[in-house]
Amino acid sequence: MLLRLSHVPMNRWFRIAKLDGPKEDCNRLLDLGFTPGEEVLVTHTAPLGDPLVIHVRGALLALRKREAAWIWVQ
Amino acid sequence: MDCHSSDTEVLDAVPSKDLTVCLVGMPNAGKTTLMNALTGGNFHTANYPGVTVSLMRGKTKADLGPVVNIVDLPGVHSSIAPSPEEELACSVIEGRNSRVKPEAFVLVVDATQLERHLKFAGFVAHQKKPIVVALTMVDLVARNHKTLDVAKLEKALGVPVIPVDARTGKGARELLSALQQASARPLQSNTLAVLPTDSTAAFDAVRALLQKNGIVPRADVRPEIDPLTRKIDHYALHKVWGFPIFLVALISLFGAIFWAAKPFMDAIDSAFGGLGNLFIRVFGESMVVRFLANGIIAGVGSVAVFFPQIMILFFLMTLLEDSGYLARGAALVDRPLAALGLHGRSFVPMLSGFACAIPAVFAARAIPSRRERLLTIWIIPLMSCSARLPVYALLLAAVLPAAAWKQGLSLAAIYICSLLVGSLMAGVASRFVYKYKSPSMLAMELPVYRIPRWKPILRMTWARGSSYLKRAGRPIVTVSAILWLISNFGTTPQSFVAPTPMDHSFAAQLGQKIEPALHPMGVDWRVGVGLISAFAAREVFVSSMAIVFHVNGDEATRQDGLLEQMRTATFLGTTQRIFTPASIVGLIVFFFFSLQCFATVAVVRKETGSWKIAGLQLAFYTGLGYVLAVSSVQLLRALGVA
Repeated sequence: MLLRLSHVPMNRWFRIAKLDGPKEDCNRLLDLGFTPGEEVLVTHTAPLGDPLVIHVRGALLALRKREAAWIWVQ
Repeated sequence: MDCHSSDTEVLDAVPSKDLTVCLVGMPNAGKTTLMNALTGGNFHTANYPGVTVSLMRGKTKADLGPVVNIVDLPGVHSSIAPSPEEELACSVIEGRNSRVKPEAFVLVVDATQLERHLKFAGFVAHQKKPIVVALTMVDLVARNHKTLDVAKLEKALGVPVIPVDARTGKGARELLSALQQASARPLQSNTLAVLPTDSTAAFDAVRALLQKNGIVPRADVRPEIDPLTRKIDHYALHKVWGFPIFLVALISLFGAIFWAAKPFMDAIDSAFGGLGNLFIRVFGESMVVRFLANGIIAGVGSVAVFFPQIMILFFLMTLLEDSGYLARGAALVDRPLAALGLHGRSFVPMLSGFACAIPAVFAARAIPSRRERLLTIWIIPLMSCSARLPVYALLLAAVLPAAAWKQGLSLAAIYICSLLVGSLMAGVASRFVYKYKSPSMLAMELPVYRIPRWKPILRMTWARGSSYLKRAGRPIVTVSAILWLISNFGTTPQSFVAPTPMDHSFAAQLGQKIEPALHPMGVDWRVGVGLISAFAAREVFVSSMAIVFHVNGDEATRQDGLLEQMRTATFLGTTQRIFTPASIVGLIVFFFFSLQCFATVAVVRKETGSWKIAGLQLAFYTGLGYVLAVSSVQLLRALGVA
């Protein structure tokens, strides 16, 4: 089952299936390490609910929910 | 994008026999800290007009061996470059840039994120130039009881790998000697040169390479987060505690900017006042001496007086940045700022704007997208900078005499209003002026927390502070000199030694010319002279008011004398008082909005690369200030407030 990374429970590992969003922004996500097959973990949600803090390839990245929604995980 | 068509004044690309080396790497790899360690903080920032991009250039310290020219390139995520910074960096790396021709590269790699940072290595290696890898953050690997086999990594990559510690400068000498050796011998093939440049393939290839050589575990072991960072983030990003912690950090920052800087500012202020007087006493009264003392020395003084505050601001900002907290702060406030069309990182320039707009405009560089950066620069002049403080203090004391607490409360209200109005302005501008199809991405790395490294922080603070003095100094001193000339000369010079009295000067004539425009604001030409002179720096309003209203005496008694004069001043030839509650409120409103600072205009022009935004800002805010000042005076009068 595919889920958007913006809607997955915190502190559980998910595997990236595909990216689906504006081309330029998706390229940026790929550059940052969000490549299909890679495992990611949502570690925090900012107090106002946005952005999310995501652990990918040993780095912590803050992504807005809008951006996280382009990442489909399973 | 063409980065090198119009940059005539910037990079001093002097052909040099010394080796030219570029530092390349991802953002947050520690390039700037390494730059500091290699050059001893002795580098300068060269701007590329047209795009808000700057390169840092410097020469290595003499005690580190043969001198090498070092260029610090902006951080790059990939070779498909969407931002102007990345485009510039890529053009330099590929040798397409006419001004910077690198002969070798230092690839700066974060030891805790080898995979992400080496992904870019293929692109650099394809240029067929010598490469040395500088391994940063090695202390963080040790902190988590892990080890990294540098010899194995060197063997795997086929290029020299030198661990460097920016805190102690350890490794800098080894790095430079490895560079000299690598560029002296013929280029050898290395593993990096066969890495793919496409990002997905590059990630896979780097991981395979690292696993094959036993540098990272072969099995699918999930990477761990630094435990200390995890612990601190639990509170720093906490649902309940996140904002109170952020607020405490901000309040401490403000406290330091205003209270800790105060004694230094007072000392500098009286030192320059004394210096001017001493100058006149030593060289005697003459026009030139007066010009130097009251025009130039006082002008330099008005720049220097803000120096302590700006140094404290830069120091604390660099401290927050180095410790890793600044990025968390930006993440916390991203949501409300994004709603206004700004970026999480906009909070740093906005905050700096409460000290001075000039460092704030510099700070806006950290915002990755141009649109959000311009929008942030657009609202910076609304932040209540500290040059407005003496003006508000004078005006509030005049309108609310003998009620210190009411003055304090009003001042606090003015500060809060400036933040609210700035936000409103950003919201309006992002919807109607700087329209955009889709917002840009946040995608901001949160670095791991670390104990601040004092030496690099102090070096960085000094580099930023001296850049402020250089950039802001010239326009402020120039404007101050011009204003002195027009306030001391007129069409009828009376004598050579004592120039024209203020009442007959060009400034007064200018004031009288604009008097019809000043009447609706409820003030006369003398206040107009004060308003014109405030374009040198807002706080000059107070001293020129003292001059036009003929208040004598030293610093201590002048404020009281001026207040007394303001209480009794009437429009010339009438008994109608000038400074009524209505007209004072009008002046406060004018200072609140108007962009009375030519130095800010000059710096915005430089940072945005054109007069368009700078000129528009000047006209818009000054016009808005005038219209709103007139409206509030007329409204108050209509309501029966004199």
